[in-house]
Amino acid sequence: MSSSRTDSSIVEVSMPQMGVSVAEGTIVEWRKRPGDWVKADEPICDVSTDKIDVEIPSPASGRLTRILIEPGETVPVGTPLAELDTAAEPGEAHPEESPSPRSDPSSGPPDSASDTGEAPEVDRSSFYSPVVRRLADEHGVDLGRVEGTGVGGRVRKVDLMDFLEDGGAKEEPEERPMHTESPYQPELQPAASAGDLIGPTRREQMSPIRTQIARHMLDSRRASAHCTTIVEVDFSRIARRRRELREAMARRGVNLTYLAFVAREAVAALERHPVLNASIEGEEIVYHDQVNLGIAVALENGLIVPVIRQAERLSLEGLAAAIGDLATRAREKRLHPDEVQGGTFTITNPGQFGAVLATPIINQPQVAILDLEAIVKRPVVVERDGDEAIAIHPMSYLCMSWDHRALDGAEAARFLAGMKRALEEGESE
Amino acid sequence: MAEMTYLEAISDALRTEMRRDESVFCLGEDIGAFGGAFKVTDGFAEEFGADRVLDTPLAENAIVGAATGAAIEGMRPVCEMQFADFIACGFDQLVNVAAKLHYRQGVAVPIVVRLPSGGGFSGGPFHSQNPEAWFLQTPGLKVLTPATAEDAKGLLASAIRDPNPVCFLEHKGLYRHVRGEVPEGEHTVPIGKARVAREGSEMTVIAYGSSVHLALEAAEALDEDIEVVDLRSLCPLDGEAILASARKTGKVLIAHEATRACGAGAEVAGLIGEEAFEDLDAPIRRLTTPDVPIPFSPPLEQAVLPQLDDMKEACRELLAY
Repeated sequence: MSSSRTDSSIVEVSMPQMGVSVAEGTIVEWRKRPGDWVKADEPICDVSTDKIDVEIPSPASGRLTRILIEPGETVPVGTPLAELDTAAEPGEAHPEESPSPRSDPSSGPPDSASDTGEAPEVDRSSFYSPVVRRLADEHGVDLGRVEGTGVGGRVRKVDLMDFLEDGGAKEEPEERPMHTESPYQPELQPAASAGDLIGPTRREQMSPIRTQIARHMLDSRRASAHCTTIVEVDFSRIARRRRELREAMARRGVNLTYLAFVAREAVAALERHPVLNASIEGEEIVYHDQVNLGIAVALENGLIVPVIRQAERLSLEGLAAAIGDLATRAREKRLHPDEVQGGTFTITNPGQFGAVLATPIINQPQVAILDLEAIVKRPVVVERDGDEAIAIHPMSYLCMSWDHRALDGAEAARFLAGMKRALEEGESE
Repeated sequence: MAEMTYLEAISDALRTEMRRDESVFCLGEDIGAFGGAFKVTDGFAEEFGADRVLDTPLAENAIVGAATGAAIEGMRPVCEMQFADFIACGFDQLVNVAAKLHYRQGVAVPIVVRLPSGGGFSGGPFHSQNPEAWFLQTPGLKVLTPATAEDAKGLLASAIRDPNPVCFLEHKGLYRHVRGEVPEGEHTVPIGKARVAREGSEMTVIAYGSSVHLALEAAEALDEDIEVVDLRSLCPLDGEAILASARKTGKVLIAHEATRACGAGAEVAGLIGEEAFEDLDAPIRRLTTPDVPIPFSPPLEQAVLPQLDDMKEACRELLAY
């Protein structure tokens, strides 16, 4: 956290350096308002970058005196965002809560006390109360012409009444029409537009993370020749293995999920099929030695793909631990921006929500994305001692979207078939 | 007219009604021989006899239950809770029996339950509450909260004559501190009518009980054009008077000493929000005790109960809005 002292007791909060590739950040929300007491390392605001959302911890304990950058503004790394007074004591009232500055009631509405270092008053000059709106409608007044004397320049009811008394409304008398319009209409009015038929709507600015996802997804659809191949996998053996290993790993603080098994076999399959651990640059295919495995994590307001670097070096338990760690930190907004870049292959796991099939979009510049869907009990045909029978097994689909520019369907099918065999029969373990 | 304290006005109402109507009698803890914890019924036993000023055991459910039975038989009992807080022990007879008998069986239950309420004297959490909201959630009860000596007398007399069970909240802080001209002899004030205690046009303070005095003092101290509406009755609520003042000033502060959540102020705010939205020029504000038990410690009690400075500040903010 970078901060600098500009005064003996004033500490600046500035936009931190959040990884090598991040040059700027957008303030999403201030958790504190001017006058609030903030403890060192307590989250003071939320910042969104083009990679991730992070919480900015306070550099020191003190009272937040000024907010310099408002939510929605994007500023370069190092820009001062706010000021803290570290000489203040906890428990003091907010400046605007203390009765003393406005003890003289005859002085009318308070002036903006900017010289005392208080936060600037919120501009309410274009906020109109219900009664002001109604009266303005009734008298045909353009409220922009009424001077407000309430807080933040708000137009008070009395302001509007004074304006009306001064004859403000009568300024523009309606002109008598020169001639009467013929009632004949040569054409019918066009039918109501689709927009009218939708009914009432609500508009909301996309969050920065939403904007990023939207752009990346559309870019990927345009860049790659998407194709999806699906295999069905019997998870009976994995379910048994998981039961055997789970408790011991839990004691070591690791949650062994089905996803970890699939990730382990995906890494092994990528080593057998390097064209899927690759990217395309121009007319060249770039093969990557390391498997940097991206794991898609659903967030409240979007999606983020943290990366497990050199996943080929990790055991099943190592992968399970890494997945758990990244998912937790992603949801808590504690990822480092460098941790969401440099992936070579991605696994997504919406099956946890019960979905059974999907055709995911490739995470550029990779060439494939593997999708683990819900593992559900299905009746399957099993063969035992030459006899066929119906049994109930935990089954799931592995769906992989791949780039037809880099490979063909046979390769994708072989990749998935290898994973299926390994998961069902334990070949590569 | 005679000048009386709020407490003397309550005694006067009781005495006048007991003289007027033989069916009126009082019952409660230590109200006879001792004259009541606050001396409201001092001298009553001598004038009316022990049969009409009944000393009861410390059993509030029995007090309210006995009164309900007597009322069914044609009497007009006036129960005294030693402190409003203790009505909790008499709740079942009050809210489940007395309040619902007319609805269930068409039987009128003309009882009055006098509830000495309010804090400000280090009474601690069991002797300082303003429990009016408990009763507002019970259809079948009327709830009165007089602020002046004249209303204390007039509303108590009306409560005694009313055919419904009535909760009469008398603020202990007003007992000896508030005095005023009170009509002598029979005097009633209609139930369900608010009173404009001070005319104004810039903003309205809607208050009842002790908060009315806080509002009047603040308005005088600030010397601003503030209207003060004294609700007098919380059930029935004088919606007409509330809306008229809200529409007139467009700015409303609702003040009461009772705690905030689901208090009478919330109901008043809801009414204004529903019926007078297009006349509002500012958010509806409330000045109440926060949602905490009343502390025993004097500085802590002062900190939670609304004080004159709090009222002035709340008015200033709304005026400046």
